[in-house]
Amino acid sequence: MKRLILASAVLAACGAVHAGDVTVSGFGTMGVAKSDTDAAQFVRYNQAEGIGDHARIGLDTNLGLQASYAVDDRLSATVQVLSRKNTSPTFTTDLTWAFLKYKVSDELNVRVGRVALPIFMISDYQNVGYANTMMRPPVEMYAQAPIEAGDGIDFNYQHALGDTNLSAQGVLGVSRGKLFLVSTGSVATYRAPVHGISVSAEHGPLTVRAAWLGATMSSNDIAPINTLVATLGALGYGQLGQDITVASGKKVSFAALGATLDWNNLLVQTEYGQRRARDKVYIPDTNSWYAMLGYRIGKVVPYYSHAVAKGAGSSVTLPASFPASGALSAVVRGALTAPEQSSDTLGLRWDFAKSVDLKLQLDRVHPHVRNGMLIYGPATGLGSVTVAGATLDFVF
Amino acid sequence: MNKLIIPTMLCLAFVAGAAQAETVVIVNKANPASRMFSEQAAQFFLGKSNMFTPVDQAEGSAIRAEFYHKVAEKDTAQVKAIWSKLVFTGKAVAPKEFASNAEIKKAVAADPKAIGYIDKAALDDSVKAILTLP
Repeated sequence: MKRLILASAVLAACGAVHAGDVTVSGFGTMGVAKSDTDAAQFVRYNQAEGIGDHARIGLDTNLGLQASYAVDDRLSATVQVLSRKNTSPTFTTDLTWAFLKYKVSDELNVRVGRVALPIFMISDYQNVGYANTMMRPPVEMYAQAPIEAGDGIDFNYQHALGDTNLSAQGVLGVSRGKLFLVSTGSVATYRAPVHGISVSAEHGPLTVRAAWLGATMSSNDIAPINTLVATLGALGYGQLGQDITVASGKKVSFAALGATLDWNNLLVQTEYGQRRARDKVYIPDTNSWYAMLGYRIGKVVPYYSHAVAKGAGSSVTLPASFPASGALSAVVRGALTAPEQSSDTLGLRWDFAKSVDLKLQLDRVHPHVRNGMLIYGPATGLGSVTVAGATLDFVF
Repeated sequence: MNKLIIPTMLCLAFVAGAAQAETVVIVNKANPASRMFSEQAAQFFLGKSNMFTPVDQAEGSAIRAEFYHKVAEKDTAQVKAIWSKLVFTGKAVAPKEFASNAEIKKAVAADPKAIGYIDKAALDDSVKAILTLP
């Protein structure tokens, strides 16, 4: 952590560094947050450690560094690393992207390498606090797709049609990453070939976006699921085990529709998304949405957001002979049921200095099914949790 | 009393005039464009079109704050947030910044695709003006 702060201070002092055709820039957030209970921990998705009744910096603090090198007018190379607390309880640094970009024309470019996956509206800049109105992406929606980047190829196309700017992005690649497993406190690795497309239209203050991404998830070290599949096999429910497992690779899709409005002083950001299993798999189907309303008063933007995550059934059908109650039944039915949660968020963004903003945010989180998106909660009976946070977001 | 009011008003008018000096949007002389609307200019400076390459005045300068207010009704923090999205998604590189009108003119004169903006008073025939912002 000390190294993170030191590096950020040194780089912030230098500002964006240009050396020849190399540009170094960065972004970061220094945050502190606490909740009103130790009964469960509030996390961003896929975090191994959250916050309880004591103020912690790990929830929102991060630092990203990006370097670009322009080979010529058409070809450039970019790498980005990001330090944050993710699937490990300590700060770790990952290579978030590394790609070569070739500008085919003024309207089309192609990238090869590791690129961000454009699943939801702010997926590819969700870690850049300064680029967002809210302190953190609504966990109800962004937790549905813990896949962030993929190794492969993508294209970005931009075309102006009268006063409307159209853009399209398509991606084909393989995503590899880690998933934090709450029930065992362990980390699994996954591999997922992905293909996706997003299209957006911008007309004056309004932008509308639609996206779809398909992934074939495979992981052979999701310990609790492997144990469950083995148990089911031993008890004569081998087919059910095969339906549940992701070891063999199972198709899942994400679809999202979103819009932003930045009209006079009014800010609106809203999105609806669906996660669907395309093969039989334990991963539950979900629907999620959020809507944020903000109003700009000079350098200050107060905002309110409401977010909801709901289950939408399971692709797995239990055999008629499967027990209706008992320990095994509870575990299987639990695994097939999506956690549900809603939250109300009240916040403030203040652009108080050049390239720095201060945010204050209060979240009232209501877990509806199990512990919602909170972790390490009680088996039953977790009530609403209030989370208070303050962050400084900066870019350089 | 009148004697006091008139110089005060003149002084205020002068200050207001200085604060709202005319700004011109300039391109390379080889650029075939001859006129542009402010909405079109805003497209390049907000990263929505790659047809031209924007070059920007220094961050924190009065002309920069006025320019974005005039072409897009945005303050510089909003513009910075927009570019942060583009830069940190790898979709664009932020405009290069120059410290003076003279350096902007030099950069625009050197790049056939460049677009910049300067005080109208600094305009000369090394570049071509395509839009005047009152």
